[in-house]
Amino acid sequence: MKKLIFILVLCCSSFHAGAAESKLEQIQLETDLPAVERGADALMNACHTCHSLKYITYRDLVKFGMDKKKVSDWRGDQPLDTALTSQLSDETAIQSYGIVPPDLSLIAKAREGGPSYVYSYLIGYYITPEGMTGNHVFPETRMPDMMGMSGATDPVQRAELQAKARDIVSFLAWAADPHEEERHKLGYYVIGYLLVLTAMLFVVKNQIWSRLK
Amino acid sequence: MKSRVIKWIDQRFPFSSFVKHDLTEYPTPRNLSYWWNFGFLAGFVLVLQVATGIFLAMHYKADVTLSFDSIQHIMRDVNFGWLLRYMHSTGASAFFLVIYIHMARTLYYGSYRAPRELMWWTGQGLLLLLMATAFMGYLLPWGQMSFWGATVITNLFRATPFFGDQVVVWLRGDFGVGDATLTRFFALHYLLPFLIIGGVLVHLVALHTVKSSNPSGIDLAAKDNIPFHPYFTIKDFYGLGIFLIVYCIFVFFLPNSLMEPANNIPANPMQTPTHIVPEWYFLPFYAILRSVPNLVGGVVAMGLSVMVFSFMPYLDRSRIPGGAHYRPWYRVMFYLFVVDMLVLGYVGYIPPTDQSIMIGKIATIFYFAQFVLLPFISRKEEQWLIRCGLPPEVETLIASEAKEKNKLPHQRRIGDIK
Ligand code: HEC
Ligand code: HEM
Repeated sequence: MKKLIFILVLCCSSFHAGAAESKLEQIQLETDLPAVERGADALMNACHTCHSLKYITYRDLVKFGMDKKKVSDWRGDQPLDTALTSQLSDETAIQSYGIVPPDLSLIAKAREGGPSYVYSYLIGYYITPEGMTGNHVFPETRMPDMMGMSGATDPVQRAELQAKARDIVSFLAWAADPHEEERHKLGYYVIGYLLVLTAMLFVVKNQIWSRLK
Repeated sequence: MKSRVIKWIDQRFPFSSFVKHDLTEYPTPRNLSYWWNFGFLAGFVLVLQVATGIFLAMHYKADVTLSFDSIQHIMRDVNFGWLLRYMHSTGASAFFLVIYIHMARTLYYGSYRAPRELMWWTGQGLLLLLMATAFMGYLLPWGQMSFWGATVITNLFRATPFFGDQVVVWLRGDFGVGDATLTRFFALHYLLPFLIIGGVLVHLVALHTVKSSNPSGIDLAAKDNIPFHPYFTIKDFYGLGIFLIVYCIFVFFLPNSLMEPANNIPANPMQTPTHIVPEWYFLPFYAILRSVPNLVGGVVAMGLSVMVFSFMPYLDRSRIPGGAHYRPWYRVMFYLFVVDMLVLGYVGYIPPTDQSIMIGKIATIFYFAQFVLLPFISRKEEQWLIRCGLPPEVETLIASEAKEKNKLPHQRRIGDIK
């Protein structure tokens, strides 16, 4: 049993020990509807021009409980079942940036560090001594500093931008794993049930085995 | 009072006698510890994988242009599809964990020795099938790690003498891992679990011929064997409860901790990930592969590191029963082996540095050295133990074994049920 626990601990810990993670800013994710909705709002304004979220449709946003009016503003005259495709064609993207911006539906699960990575990346822009824009987390990134983090020197403004990035990450985390909340809820029931069942099995086991002597 | 239906069946098929002989009244040593639960657990996880796998296959599409999307469809739109997939992906890890513990139990208690060699070898075959199944299943989501893992591993077959390159193409069905590879891996990933079921049946028939070993390693008299039902059915179910709690913690709360983030990026043959790692259960063997600088040598070492377990019945020359329990030298070797495996696993996980490669080499040499030295150590240990005097139970066994020497050769085996 001791070994079992040891192995479990070992594999969990080793799976989180990414090399890049040390310089990431760890965030506590907010998963409530208002935060996710604020994030969606910010993302539709600042990121959606370049990035798609092809596994998310406008209907998903409504079903999650976001404000219907807001969603219909975002989608314009597109049908409700349209996915959040970007407005940037691949050719233009390659011409302008040399790369097609990645789809963001899974981005919160697709990098070592997950949401903390995305957050640190978004707020990681700074002005190098040579006057160029750099990024602490992804130095060679071809994405411009869309949130204006590098230009923000005023602490209040920086805090605002950080809050905005945090909201965007909340939304991206939801988009990457939309059933997470449901999963956790069900998990508490299942594990609670198993605990009771196992305790009862233990009692029955002792009872049956006590017949032996 | 037997129902008429059962009576009707029994006249045509040995149903009741089978249930009685192999399930309810099957004689089982009463002193089995909880380490003996893991065989049952492995069978349970096998059923779980087949059950979830079949439902996943109803929604999955084996086509390079569709498979990544079909997994997202399962995760997002299919009712409880996320549960099916997380149960299946976590189940693969659970399967290996359970099997590795099951094997460690066998190694610790020396249960691979006569007359259980066939159990050990069928188990070895099952391990290979399980590895092949998991490896092929990992390609199916068609993520970056799926693609590059399959590319790296199929590429190893280049080491085949004379027609290595042709073998690689033959395995992949194309020059690179592509649609042909994906469809054939899906077909085989569907097939192999059923071969595993067949192998498990052979494993169990062998078990019921030689009967379970037990922690003392000494044959128990009839009075110490108890019927499987209800004693071990309830014990197995209690163990299952504990297992399911651990399993469900991973399924519901940490399912992504067992998946590489890079596998959430669709496969891209034009872009190699910075660091290709296999699933945790392959890491020690992967470390051995990387520890040998040349391809052929690495492949041979890796293959041997898995297959070398088959030789255990011959390598262990000691006839002292009870496995590591009564054998201090062997016990030390067992624990060192477990530590060595963990070191190798870690070395396989981290990106290679000069230092980690050095550690990997030492751990690899140590891994094989243990197997090579075992015949000598076990022989010497046996002589030493006999000289020092054995625990009284063991003495009794040796005496009864000496008596058995007079029996007919086919009856003369340690561990036989009288
Ligand atoms: C002007 C177009 C554009 C806009 C607007 C934009 N991005 Fe990007 N983004 C890109 C490009 C181009 C890349 C690819 C960077 C690379 O790989 O070099 C990228 C990459 C990314 C990545 C992946 C980084 C990695 O590790 O590969 C994330 C995350 C991301 N963007 C988030 C956002 C968010 C959040 C916003 C909104 C605040 C946003 N982007 C707005 C163009 C854009
Ligand atoms: C021996 C038992 C089995 C093992 C160890 C196993 C292992 C795996 C693994 C490791 C994956 C990749 C998981 C991921 O990263 O998403 C996978 C995927 C898959 N398996 Fe299995 N599997 C087993 C049995 C089966 C069976 C019997 C079927 C079908 C009849 C099946 C169908 C699938 C399908 C459709 C996928 C793709 C979906 C997915 O990736 O989640 N599996 N399997």
